[in-house]
Amino acid sequence: MAVISYLDAISHALREEMRRDPTVFLMGEDIGVFGGAFKVTRGFIEEFGEERVIDTPISESGFTGAACGAAIMGFRPVVEFQFADFIACAFDQIVNFAAKCYYRWGIPVPVVFRGPSGGGFRGGPYHSQNPEAWFTHVAGLKVVQPSTPYEAKGLLKAAIRDNNPVIYLEHKHLYRRIREEVPDEDFEIPIGVADVKRDGTDLTIVTYGAMVHTCLGVAERLAAEGAEIEVVDLRSLAPLDKDTILASVSKTGKALVVHEAQLTSGIGGEVAAIIVESCWDALDAPVKRIGALDVPIPFSPTLEDAVLPSEGKIEATARELLEY
Amino acid sequence: MSRMNMVEALNNGLHLGMRENENVVLLGEDVGLLGGVFRVSAGLQETFGTDRVLDTPLSETGIIASAIGMALYGLRPIAEIQFADFAFPAFDQIINELAKYRYRSGNQLTTPVLVRMPVGGGVGGGLYHSQSPESHFAHTAGLKVVIPSNPYDAKGLLLAALREQDPVIFLEPKKLYRTTSAEVPDGAFTVPIGSARRVREGTDVTLICYGAMVPLAEDVARRAAEEQIQVDVLDLRSLLPLDIETVLASVQKTHRIVIVHEAPRTCGYGAELASLIVEKAFWSLDAPILRVTGFDTPFPYRLEKEYLPTSDRILDALRTTVAA
Repeated sequence: MAVISYLDAISHALREEMRRDPTVFLMGEDIGVFGGAFKVTRGFIEEFGEERVIDTPISESGFTGAACGAAIMGFRPVVEFQFADFIACAFDQIVNFAAKCYYRWGIPVPVVFRGPSGGGFRGGPYHSQNPEAWFTHVAGLKVVQPSTPYEAKGLLKAAIRDNNPVIYLEHKHLYRRIREEVPDEDFEIPIGVADVKRDGTDLTIVTYGAMVHTCLGVAERLAAEGAEIEVVDLRSLAPLDKDTILASVSKTGKALVVHEAQLTSGIGGEVAAIIVESCWDALDAPVKRIGALDVPIPFSPTLEDAVLPSEGKIEATARELLEY
Repeated sequence: MSRMNMVEALNNGLHLGMRENENVVLLGEDVGLLGGVFRVSAGLQETFGTDRVLDTPLSETGIIASAIGMALYGLRPIAEIQFADFAFPAFDQIINELAKYRYRSGNQLTTPVLVRMPVGGGVGGGLYHSQSPESHFAHTAGLKVVIPSNPYDAKGLLLAALREQDPVIFLEPKKLYRTTSAEVPDGAFTVPIGSARRVREGTDVTLICYGAMVPLAEDVARRAAEEQIQVDVLDLRSLLPLDIETVLASVQKTHRIVIVHEAPRTCGYGAELASLIVEKAFWSLDAPILRVTGFDTPFPYRLEKEYLPTSDRILDALRTTVAA
């Protein structure tokens, strides 16, 4: 076991999978010679050569299409979008081609689309977005977002070995901030399984990605006052682990869904709707949601802090729910 | 007043809009010489010339990008995407450019582009000519999203959208293009964006729908009435902004909700709607909110009738909700 960062964990998973399976290769902007905008693939081109670590032109649609073609021919490409915001340029290739190919032809498209997502570090409207809900509405895609180095490694390995296209969103605010011990030996975290990060009996907070850490902070603070909050980390956004969500809410009777993406039509709506459909008799209070305000992510630090979910907002809503 | 189907009402609205304001231009694939694949723009090029009705290459990205440029220079472009399924190649232009201009420019620039696109199934179109992408756009701050369900609203919403200062995604349920006709005023009138319409008055359960699901909901409400279930049917007409007041007023009256849409269930617009209602009117609800939707698969060709919400599925949901 070594203590590694979230970013290292992603890097290790990629390197180990490339050593294990010669059909795994990487494509993306500046991932080779430069080692990636965030240095996730530093040293890769030296080890695996430029045929397996491909620097592409700045054309998300182009390299996504190329990766889908390679996947159909038996490869397992891992595509890096330099920022998840630019995945919108490849939207048609992902949604209309990769997601539907197996349904249309019975041909699997095992591509992993990695996208550094999320805000909180003054990236402005084009380097801070959380695009997950655009993809969780699309049948044929799996969508994951790890919150810890251990999960970052295990979920990426599972994604690469999956026969379906997987959107792997890595929160860039976690890259170097979160470190922990991660096993050196090979392991996978199954896609579709949530993780209860903190046990509690009074309120369930359902969240994922960087917000897991924010919500755990709130839970710790309120624990000092005697409130026991359960924090469910979804990890996998499509498919959703309904059983874990429903088991928790059945126990606590109250639910708060927190995500960093904008509120309207975000994943919080789906999670809340599922809870209401399936846990109605257990509910003691309305299911609440917290997301970013419905605006582009501002560049101004003051405004960005006001737009994104904060510990203060989460704590206030948690208190409100605890009082029911 | 004249009897018009939806195609005729839209065509009439486009003629009026272009006559009223010389800055209105129409661009899209086959909208000029052919008059549009559904003939919505028939006769416009003859009347207004090739400078104002432009046949474009097959490049949705190009169509939207050109429309944005035109709007920034004072024109009021109407961009037609031939099928909503092909909005995805233009997704980046829509969500990252069109939607964000006002915000990015500090309110100095607006992009009043009206993006028309035929949506939905029921016409044997298979997986690339049947999709309902509304929730992607509802998750995008900066856009308005409307969807008429009858010829009158189609014309009124179109003319209202042409007076907007912000981009409007205008979804036209292609199944309804020629299935019904209604009396529509010959002159200009508007249906305000952001106002829902009560289609049928009832006291036992509220059925919320939009687009092609509205006539189906009316049929189901008639069947339900035979079983003494009185259904309040709401046609949202506008998804963003949403007329939440009308929705909540109905909730206060019936205390029971069923939501219907064609799009896949997971992270569909129904999820947003259900969670909003729970947040704002939890204590008025007597039963869990049910959703009747398309399935989480690509849109099928052979199984279209099973995929789309049916009268029986909706009626079952109404019975379940009323019995709960």
